[in-house]
This record gives sequence, C-alpha cells and structure tokens, in this order.
Amino acid sequence: MKIQHTFRQLKSSVSAKRYIYCVLVMFIATSLSSCKKFLDQTSPNDVAQENMFQDANSLESARIGMYNTLQNVYYYGGYFPLMVDAYSDNGATGGYDSPDVNELGDKTLTSANIYVQNTWIAIYNTIYTANQILANVDAIDDPTLSDKIRNDIKGEALAIRALAHFDLLRMFGEHWNLASEYGIPVVKQVVEPTTFIGRSSVAESYDAITGDLVEAQSLIQNDDYRSDPAAFKGAMFMTLNAVNALLARVYLYKKDFTQADSYATEVIDAGYASLLEAGSFNQIYTSKLSAEAIFELVFNGQDRSQYNAATYARPDALRSEVLFLAAEDLRFFFESRPDDPRGALVDFVNNDLSIEPDGRTQKYRGEDFQDNDALVIRIAEMYLIRAEARGLQGGGLDDLNLIRENRGLPAYATDDFDVPGLYELALAEERRAELNFEGHRYFDLARLQKVQETLGEEVLPVFPIPLREVTATNGVITQYPGY
Amino acid sequence: MIRSLTLMFFVLLLFLQLPASAQTTLIGTVKDTEGEALLGVTIRLKENPAIGTITGDDGSFSFQVPDAAGTLIFSYVGYADQEVNFLTGKTALTVILQSDVELEEVIVVGYGTQKKSDVTGAISSVDNKDFKDQPIGNIAGSIQGKVSGLNVTNPSGTPGSSLLVSVRGQSNPLYVVDGIPLLSESNSAMATSFDTQGNVTGNGQSISSISDINPNDIASIEILKDASSAAIYGARAANGVILITTKRGAAGKTQFGLNYYTGIQQVANPIKFLSSDEFVSLVEEGRQNDLNAYEQDPEIFGPDFDPALLTNPLPETWYTGVNTDWLDEIFRSAPVNNLEFSARGGNEKTKFYSGISYFDQQGIVIESYYKRFNTRLNIDHQINDHFSFGENLSLTYSRNRRSFNDDVYTGVVTNALGASPLMPVYNDDGSYAGFEDYQVSWLSDNPVKSAHEVQGYTSSYRALATLYGEWRIVKNLKFRSSWSIDYTNLSDDLYFSPITVDAENVGGKATNGTFNQLVWLGENIFSYDYNINKDNHLSAVGGFTLQQSDSRRQSISGQGFPIGSNLTNVSSAATITGGVDEGSNWALVSFLGRVNYDYKGKYLLSVSARTDGSSRFSPSNQYGFFPAISAGWRLTDENFWPKNNTLTDLKIRASYGLTGDQEIGDFQYISFWIPVTYNGQSGLNPRNIADPDLKWQTNKMVNFGVDYEFFHGRMYGSLEYYKSNKTDLLSEDVIPGTTGFESITRNYGNVLNRGFEFSLNAVPFDGEFRWDIGFNISTLHNEIIDLSTDGVLVNAYNDLSPTHILQEGQALGTFWGVNYLGVDPETGDPMYEDINDDGIIDGDDSQIIGKATPDMYGGFNTTLAWKNWDLGIAASFSVGNDVYNLIRGEYESLGWSDEGWDEDLILYQVYTNNSHEVDDRWQQPGDQADIPRASLINQNVLQNSSQTLEDASYFRIRTINLGYTFKPKVKHTYNSLYIYAQVQNPVLITGYSGFDPEVSSTGGDHPETAGVDYAAYPQARTFTVGFNFNF
Repeated sequence: MKIQHTFRQLKSSVSAKRYIYCVLVMFIATSLSSCKKFLDQTSPNDVAQENMFQDANSLESARIGMYNTLQNVYYYGGYFPLMVDAYSDNGATGGYDSPDVNELGDKTLTSANIYVQNTWIAIYNTIYTANQILANVDAIDDPTLSDKIRNDIKGEALAIRALAHFDLLRMFGEHWNLASEYGIPVVKQVVEPTTFIGRSSVAESYDAITGDLVEAQSLIQNDDYRSDPAAFKGAMFMTLNAVNALLARVYLYKKDFTQADSYATEVIDAGYASLLEAGSFNQIYTSKLSAEAIFELVFNGQDRSQYNAATYARPDALRSEVLFLAAEDLRFFFESRPDDPRGALVDFVNNDLSIEPDGRTQKYRGEDFQDNDALVIRIAEMYLIRAEARGLQGGGLDDLNLIRENRGLPAYATDDFDVPGLYELALAEERRAELNFEGHRYFDLARLQKVQETLGEEVLPVFPIPLREVTATNGVITQYPGY
Repeated sequence: MIRSLTLMFFVLLLFLQLPASAQTTLIGTVKDTEGEALLGVTIRLKENPAIGTITGDDGSFSFQVPDAAGTLIFSYVGYADQEVNFLTGKTALTVILQSDVELEEVIVVGYGTQKKSDVTGAISSVDNKDFKDQPIGNIAGSIQGKVSGLNVTNPSGTPGSSLLVSVRGQSNPLYVVDGIPLLSESNSAMATSFDTQGNVTGNGQSISSISDINPNDIASIEILKDASSAAIYGARAANGVILITTKRGAAGKTQFGLNYYTGIQQVANPIKFLSSDEFVSLVEEGRQNDLNAYEQDPEIFGPDFDPALLTNPLPETWYTGVNTDWLDEIFRSAPVNNLEFSARGGNEKTKFYSGISYFDQQGIVIESYYKRFNTRLNIDHQINDHFSFGENLSLTYSRNRRSFNDDVYTGVVTNALGASPLMPVYNDDGSYAGFEDYQVSWLSDNPVKSAHEVQGYTSSYRALATLYGEWRIVKNLKFRSSWSIDYTNLSDDLYFSPITVDAENVGGKATNGTFNQLVWLGENIFSYDYNINKDNHLSAVGGFTLQQSDSRRQSISGQGFPIGSNLTNVSSAATITGGVDEGSNWALVSFLGRVNYDYKGKYLLSVSARTDGSSRFSPSNQYGFFPAISAGWRLTDENFWPKNNTLTDLKIRASYGLTGDQEIGDFQYISFWIPVTYNGQSGLNPRNIADPDLKWQTNKMVNFGVDYEFFHGRMYGSLEYYKSNKTDLLSEDVIPGTTGFESITRNYGNVLNRGFEFSLNAVPFDGEFRWDIGFNISTLHNEIIDLSTDGVLVNAYNDLSPTHILQEGQALGTFWGVNYLGVDPETGDPMYEDINDDGIIDGDDSQIIGKATPDMYGGFNTTLAWKNWDLGIAASFSVGNDVYNLIRGEYESLGWSDEGWDEDLILYQVYTNNSHEVDDRWQQPGDQADIPRASLINQNVLQNSSQTLEDASYFRIRTINLGYTFKPKVKHTYNSLYIYAQVQNPVLITGYSGFDPEVSSTGGDHPETAGVDYAAYPQARTFTVGFNFNF
C-alpha cells in the first residue's frame, strides 16, 4: 500500500517528470557510451592481420602456415600431382561418372573444370602467404629475431613462392618455349582484389622463378649446412638443398643444361639425400622422410593427405570410389620392362572388375591413417636430371645406370644407343618408371613435345586457365588457344 | 487490454478502502455472445467509480448503488467495455459483452499491437486454427498456402528439417518469437553430404531452430512483408519478418486442454523401379539396339570394337530369381504421435499459460526420426496500477536420428535409387550383401546397411526465457524493459560402424561434437498513446535494444572401435584423429522509434526508423539507418462515399522504406589468420582477404495496397503490389585467383523482386451451415540487375559440373546446362544443341535452361461447417518453377554399362537399374519418344542438360480435415471435445517425375543453388486421427 501511495503522488508531482527525464537520459547516455565497447567483439579463434608479423613468434607461425598451404588437397595434399599423371598415359579416372573427373581421365579438359579451378586458387594461396611473409619480414622489430632466422624464413618464402610459380608454369604455361607469350601471372606482392593480372611471357616467368630461387639460395646460405650439419632443418622444410634441387629442375625445363647439371651435382654431392640401398626403394613409399627425400611434405593422422583416398580407398573399392587410377597403358609399359621391380608398385590384378582393365598404384598405401607424404623432390630425380643434362656424350649414362642398377635393372651400354634419340627415349622411360604418380609425366611429355603423339591429336600440352579466372579478370588473362 | 486491466485494479483498490453505503440493490448476469456466463467481470458505477463489484462463478452480480438511476461500466479482459444504463426499478440486468476480437481485430506488429483497420503496411496474419493439429514438426510447414507473398518449400521430407521460407522472393526471414529475434540458421555441424573420400561435398538437410517451437503454443503468426512494417527490425528485416506470438493466460476459470493425435506416414509418391526381369530385358534390349547399330555401321563404336560383347550370353548371375524392391526395403509406414496438455487461467492479478507437449515423428526412411519434448510457461502479473511484470519460459529437448547422407552419392535414398534388383539385402548367412558383387556399379554401399550402421544423431536443448517489467509512468506513457536469453546446447554424434564402406579400413570411426550458444537480448521501450482530441490520435514507440551472442563449437573425432563392443563414444577409439574448438560472437545495439497518427481512423500515417550498430562491420561502417514511411486512406469513411451495403470498407495504402541484412557470419570485415598445423607444429595461415569497407545490405521496398470488404465482412481481402531492390548485396564475390582466394565477402550487386499479391476471403453461407473460402495468389519476378562479376557459374555440389549461373537479367537460381533436343526418331539417339559447333557435346555447350523460382504461387483454403460437423481443405500451388532432377540422370541410364564387361567380353555389370519412367523410351525406328533408346555402349542421358530438367509446377491438396465437436449437454462438465480425422498431402498434381516437385537437395539456405533434386528424402502422406479436449 505504501508503494502505491508513493506512486500516486509521483504521478501528480512535477518531480515525476523530472525523474522520468533523468531515467531516459541515463539510459540513452549509458547505452551510447558503452555501445562502442559493446560492439567491439573479437574472434577467439583467429588472429587479425594487424596482429600478425609483430614479432619472431608470429613470423614463425606464418612460416608454418605457409607449409600448410602447400598441403591443400588441390595442391600437394594430393590432387595436383595426381591430376598431372591422370592427364597422361599413366592415368585414368574413376569416380561417380562426374564430368569434371571424366574430363581428366579422358584428356578432354574444359576451362570450367572444377579441379583445375581449385588447383589454380590453391597454388596462388601459397604464393599469397609467401608474399605476406616477404612483405612483412624485414619490418619486424623484435630483438629476439636473429638475422639468421629472419633470412632463413625469407629464403624459404622465396623458394616456396618459386616452387608455386614453377608448378603454375608447368601446368598453365608453354614452359618448353622461351619465346612464348603464354607464361603465367607472376605475383610478387600482396595484391588487391581489384588488381587483374595477366600472363607474363614464359621468359619473364622463368626469370621470376630463378630470381627468387637464387635470392633464396643466398639467404639460406647464411646457414651453411655443410659447415654445420646439425643446422639442417630436415627434408620436410625448404632447405638450401631443396632450393638447389628445384633450381636443377627449373633449368632442366628451361633447357639450360649447364645450370641443371651444376645444381643437380651440388645436391648429389652435398649428401643430404642419397639413394637407398639397392632394391629397397619401397621405403620411399612406406616410410616417412626416407634417405631419398629432398623436399617431402609430411602429413600425419591428424593432418591427412588425399593420396590414399584418391588412389586406393580400400581393398574392395569399386571404380566409382577411386578418383585416380593407373591406366592400362602403364601396365603395357611395365609389361615391356618385365625385369623392372618398380612395376610391382602398380597393381593391375587385385582390383574389382569395374576397375579393370585399369589398375591402382600402390605408392600410397596405408588406409588406416591416410597420412601419405607428398614426394615433392627426391634424389633419384636429380640423377635423372643430370643424366638428361649431360646427355649420352657428356657422361649422362652413368647417372642413368646408377638409378637402374639401384632399382634392380641391368645397366645400359653406350652401344645400346646407336640410333639417335634412343637415349632420350630411355631417359623418358626411366623417368616414367621411377616417377609415375608423383606428378611428372604430363609435364615431361609437354617438355619433350610428345603430348599429341602420346595422348592424341586433340590433347593440348597446357591446362586451360579456369573460366572463373577469365571471367573474374574481365579477360585480362588470355586463354590458351584451343580451349 | 492493459488499460482495462489498470482500471479494474484501480476500482478494486478503491473498493477495498471504501465501505459500501447501502441504498439500492442491483442484480444481474453477464454473458458473452455465445451465452456463456462470464466470471470476474468488473462492474463499476460511471458516476462514482469507487462503487462496483465483480461477477461470480455463474456470471451473476449483486451490489448496492446509491442512486436509483445511472450508468454501469462493464469491463473484462479480452472484451470491449460496455456502458449500460439502469433504473433500480427494473431488476435483473442481463448484459452481453462482445469480445475485442469480434469487435476490432488487433494484430501484432513490431514492438506493439495495432488495430487491423489502422494498418498501413503489408502484414498478413495467420491464426492458430490454421496451423494447429497438423502432423508437421516445423511451424512454417503448416502455413504454406495460407497467406499471399509467403512461399514455403519443403526441401525434403527429413523429419525436423528446415524449410525454404521466402517472403516476397527473399529467403530466410527473421523470426521474432514473443519479441525475441531468433536466427533461423541450423546449428548442427553434421554435414550429411560426403563424397566417397569422406570430404564434405555439399550441405545436407539442415535442421531448423524454429522446429523447437510447438505449433500449438502459438496464438498467431504475423508476416511483415513490406519495408514499412518490417523496418522497425532494421538490420535484419531485409528478407521479411515473421512474428510468432505464443498463447498467454486469461483471467477466469482455469481452462485445460488435452490434445492428442496419432497417425501413420507413407511415401506419398514413390518412384517405381524395374523388377529383375524387366531390368534384364532392358539390358538385353540395349545390347540388341547396339548390335543393330553395329551391323549398320561396324565403325560406329570405334575401330577396335568387338561385337562379341553384344552377342555373348549374359552370365547366370543375371538369372538368380532374386527380385529386391530397394525402395520397399528402405521405406516404411512410420507412425507420428503428438500429445499435449495445456492450462490457462489466472485472476485479475496473475495470469498464466502453461503447456507441455511431446511430438514423436518416425521417418519414412528406416531408422530416422525426430522427437521433441517441449514445455512452456507464460506468466503475467500485475503488481499495482503502475507496475506489472511477467515471464515467458520455453524449454525444448529434441532428438533427431539423421538419415545419413541425405541427398548425395552415398546416401540411403540415393543408393536405393538404381540399386540392382538382383542384389539381395542380406546374404544367406544374414550378413549384409556386398554391393560390389552385383549387377549395378553405381552404389557405394548397401543402402539398408547404411541406414542401420551409420548412426547420426543431433540432440538439442533449447531454453528461451524472457523476464519483463512494465511501468505505467503516467497515463498513456508506458515503459517496458524486457530481458531475454536464448540458450542452445546441441550435440552431434556421428558413428560409422566398422562394417560400413566408409570405415572398414579404420575399424569404425566417430565424431562427437557440441555447440553451445547464449544469445541475450535487452529491450527498453517507451510507448505513448495520446488522443489529441476526439479526431486526432497519436501513438509512439521508442527505445533501444542490446543483443549479444557467444557461441562455442567443439568436436572430437576418433577411429578404431573395440570390435563387438557397440561403443560409439570417441573415448573408446584407438586413435583420436582430430578436434575442433572454435568460438564466435557478435553484438547488435539498436535504437528504434515509430509514430502513428490518424485522423478519425480515416487518414493514417506511420513513420518509423531504426538505427542498428553491428559488430559484424568495421567500426567506420558499424551503424545503419533504416527509415520507413507509410500512409493509408479509408475511402469508405469519407462523406462523399455513398453509404451502401455492398462495398462496406475500402482502404488504400502506400509505403516505402529501407531494411537491412547482416547475415554474413562474424568478423568478415577483418583479414584473419587461422590456426593450422604442419609437421606437428602449429602455425597460422590466411583465412580470407577482407573488404574493410563492408557495410549493410539494404533492401528498398515500395508497396501499394488495397484492403477491401464487401457485405459487412462476408467477403474481404487485399491486393498488393510491391517492388523491392536489394542493393549492396552481402555476398561472396568472385575475385581473381591470383589474389590467393576465390572470393571475397563484399557488397556487390542488386537484385530486383516485384510482384502482385491478391487475397480473397469469403463466407458465402453463414448460420447453421457455414462455408468459408480463402484464396490467395502471388506473382514473383526475380531478377539480378547488377553483379560485379557477371556470369559466374555455381555448383550445387562442389564435385559436380556447374548447375546454376548468376547472370544479370536472370533470376537467382537460374539453371545452367546443355539443351536437349529430344530423340532422333530414326536412330533413337539423344540430340543436344551444339552451341559452339565443335561436334562435341560438353560443358562448353551449356546455356540457360530454366529457373528455380516460380512465376506464381498461392493457396486455397475452405471450411464447411454444418451443425457440429466441419470439413476443411487446404491446398497450395506453384507455377513456372523448374527442378534440376540430377539424380534422374543416374537412374535413367537406359542400360549403359560403363564398360562393365570382363576380358572375355562377358557383361557382368551395368550402371544402374531404371525407373518405369523409361517404359516410354524409343524402341523402334519411327517412335516419337522423349527418352532415348536403351544402349550398353552409349550413355544416352546427360546429367547437366535439360534432359533432366523438369517443370515442377504443382497443385497440391495439403490437408483434408473432417471433425466433429461435442458440446456438453450438462453445463460445466467440460467445455468442448473435438475429434477429427485428417490426411496430409493426399493429392499432388504435377508433371514432375521425382518424389516431389517441392525439393531442394542443397537444403533450405541456398537460393542460388535452389531446385536441385539429388535423391532428397521424400515427402510423406500422413493419415491422422486426434482429439482436442477442453475442460
């Protein structure tokens, strides 16, 4: 009753209005002043760009993140190397009759292909991350960040950017023709979404790649692994050894054989990676970071790759469950090399009827954890690069034979190559036997200009630029003729 | 209502204080229009309000009045005040009160209520009777076809699934339940669409949080369609607003309600598949056709083709006599049950509504179900003249057994469509038959095994609670402060047993996840009501609100479960394979206001505005301003309007306003780095590039409307025209891949929606025989006006070819594919349009082939009542929309073998079994068919082409309900008993060949990829019987 009385008084009194006014002002004032704070929400899971690259730790985090971008399923997480083999005489595709997968197996790519589109973006995502590091690394003001580490990370970022650009050039550019206009968009800084970047020429693309690698070499060289082997980061990272190996590969594609020879030699002589004991090459695929690894992207049970799921799936798998199959042609190839123990790495027998006459590669087994590593560069390729760079006359045969004997095959004699071109053929076949399902075959065919001859007249030696990219850049990027 | 309440208390208080002085006794009774006695009616003397009484149990009153003559005022909650003159000489007054509703319909609007006749915006209202007792889990499903401008599509029959709700062509409206804006998004992280490698390929059916509300607790639903009615919800109102008001208590005798129904659901429109014999003869026909073609042209299948393939006899495995009807194996007749109990009542001080309900819907696909347990308590309490408070509390527990892989490759329904009839479900030893060993290559697992052995559950606890206090500061000025929480605790448990294809390598795998979210809302609203004079009336609402959300999602995955243990929790797993722990949050602060003015109820004007500040935008763009204005004119109140009994009410109105949209997810304006690992070390990699200038999406809408009424309410309705322009769309915009990303969230583009809406309600007969008719129709023109990147192709599933295109001048949800030209009558081969004339039919020949949005949609409802009988029919229709029946390309493979022969050229496998749809295929030269010939070698169906695109226009009778009402012979034994029998979805008329033309396999949230059918969970036909008992 007392309360009611008070309010009845309030109702009639002047003070009531003042009181109401006060309440109103109070509410609005407090709300206004606290609004800014109220709306200042922060994400508990993410780090904003402005908080990155503040110190040595965040630089290290970005470095690890950069390696993670390579693990994207459309890049070295699986599909990039597997697509390269699928689009060659090594590969066929299964899957649920999806047109985009069929296009890969049938070698009838169109520019709208979703796999090509996602690969394009995945590779540029790596470049973006490297560019972020490169754009910020010099400005980090942190006394705990030594010049050595700063240079090292900078070198890794440059080398990974070069790896990414080179993979793009191999897939989307006329990498065998230095005079060609059909290079790739080279992105050396963090770009705005409104910036449309067209193709550089092939020569410019190569310059960008070798430029980055040479700079990386000088930066990482501060940490001279020859004088301090303990400082070797391991083949799971982009080491100086890997930079040299990548340079050897790039110069081989560029047909600068002197440089290719010299860098391959550098890697072979450094001894950080070496061939396994004769006959035990299976370890490359069954163990992690085998002695042959130069740059191997590692995966584990919590951080899986797609290699197993996409090439094997499960013992009883039907064709529809396996995306990337081994083509019958690969069986014919190994049937023509009955002594080659590497033939056992492709299984054309223990498969469901629906997979036949194709087969499945056994390079990526381990269905329980599916943590197969990406074999980005390994030492056998260095020997094969040197064998090609030196040629038959220059003593390349020694390297070729070294690989053959190690893998359990008899050596060739010089006399075996009395007809011109035979040596080159033997080399190409050796590469196919050694590197199938590791992302080389289609590039090798293009490099040797054998795409049409091997895969068919209509098959182009270059992948199409994704239609989405052409649309998004308003045509600034030119499509490869024929697509 | 509040005013009469206050008066009543005022009277009561005075009554307690003043001793009554006895002069003359006045007696009488108060009844309602139906003749029921009203208890608790306040009666006071107009000349001296201190004198009065309230009616007793039987509606009677008796009290002393000082004078022999005077005027009494009768007031009662929910009824109009009534003044009655009396003379003490005349005894026993009988007073009949009319309810407010009968007198003047009041509808709920944003932050208040309004007389329906004063409304100047486009608002549609649906009453409880239109959606109660329907065996549908989600409230939105029961109002389809009931109002114009609202199109509800059932993307799937999955129990508890969300619906594609669009208001005037805009999807995902804002739901406001008793004043709490709710997000209709799905909180479940269980993606039910995986490919064979275990990667998420698309969105399965999402679960709607609106399903947590028991439809029978709802008193009314209002749909705010135009900008002027919705703009008071500012930043979230661009897609329309649906206001849901739950039931509240009323003073008087406590009323109890007991409702129950039980029913049985069956697949409404099953697809019929070929039997074993028919399947084999289709294959044989394909072989014969190919052989004929080969004999005419031996080069037709290539130079190396060996015709032995076509002449070798089929192996014996094709003649085992097994004949499995796979759809029969995975479908069932499933029961649905619903039990509810409610009580409402109270006295003048305290009123309550409480309800408890249990809903149990078994799915028509084996193993799936949705169960919901719900309680509600709404209380209002009047402390005194000035203060009142109350609360709403709703608690819901739901549990959903998900149908695994709804809508994609490895799904239960997906695999059953096209599975070999020659494959048994079980082997002789009782184990599941292995799909690898039979005549169809398309499967990815035995569908019955998938249904049993892949166990996905989503369980959710939801609490919605509001506490409000109201202060009547002075006469006509009220302040209401209301504080609410919306708490969700949801868990997702997915387990693959070791015998499933997905987990056989790893010995079983499981993911257990939880999601917790707390959203709180504080609202402080002043409302003011002022009669300037007799003719001019002003009311105003103003205030501010704060809303904030914190959520956290955690999950852990493991593999390798103890054999035979039946354990499915992740801690039983041999290896932990992953974990997720993420949080998110957002905040919204808003200031709002509205002023309504009317002159004699004839000229109406309403102006409203809201300013919203959102944490989802960068500090420079945090605030958005959303004003609206509307006006109305009641022509029939004008003097010049001839008084007549034909056109008895006519109001014209117009409105214009802005509404916004912020539903883009949190923190999109910031470029973020997210945690990742490499080599066992954690690091950060870039998640996105952000547009720091991100701002509100704005919908500008103009609306013209006419409300009409003929013959004093025997016929009424409205006609609306609207045009809305959605600008600065918040969307994922395509950017060059050279940036490192495929898209950026930014404001781009402009989408136009316009249309007419017409509704007509009529009561041709009234009296003992009453007939009600309601009809509505809406047209829709949806067009993309502007895009920053024109012609972007969109994939419904990220591993299928593009299915849709976003192109200027076209509708959202436009289909993309190759144009099918029919069957060559001579050869029986399919013909396609080769746009680029390269001789090859592929993705480069794609063009626009249709659209998912309808041109027109609407509904028809009628009720016939005679004495105690009533018969209700509700129907809806849609015209002009297409569905991309992608799955049909799989089960209309026409014998295509996908090279399913062995090295001896013996055919052991074809792609799929076919439906009886292929009975109309081409069979001999000269046949005019739409379906090509059977062939082993040629794939005569192209999935992404108009061959699988179908017109999905339909007319559907949604509900037929027959009921009988019992009234008690002896008063007060009970109030009423209503028993009924009902059929849901009895009749569907459509040319569509799949399960149901109302389909969207990509779930309810994706208008840009709408209208794709990839073996969606089919719709049920449901027969129910039930009763409503009120006592």
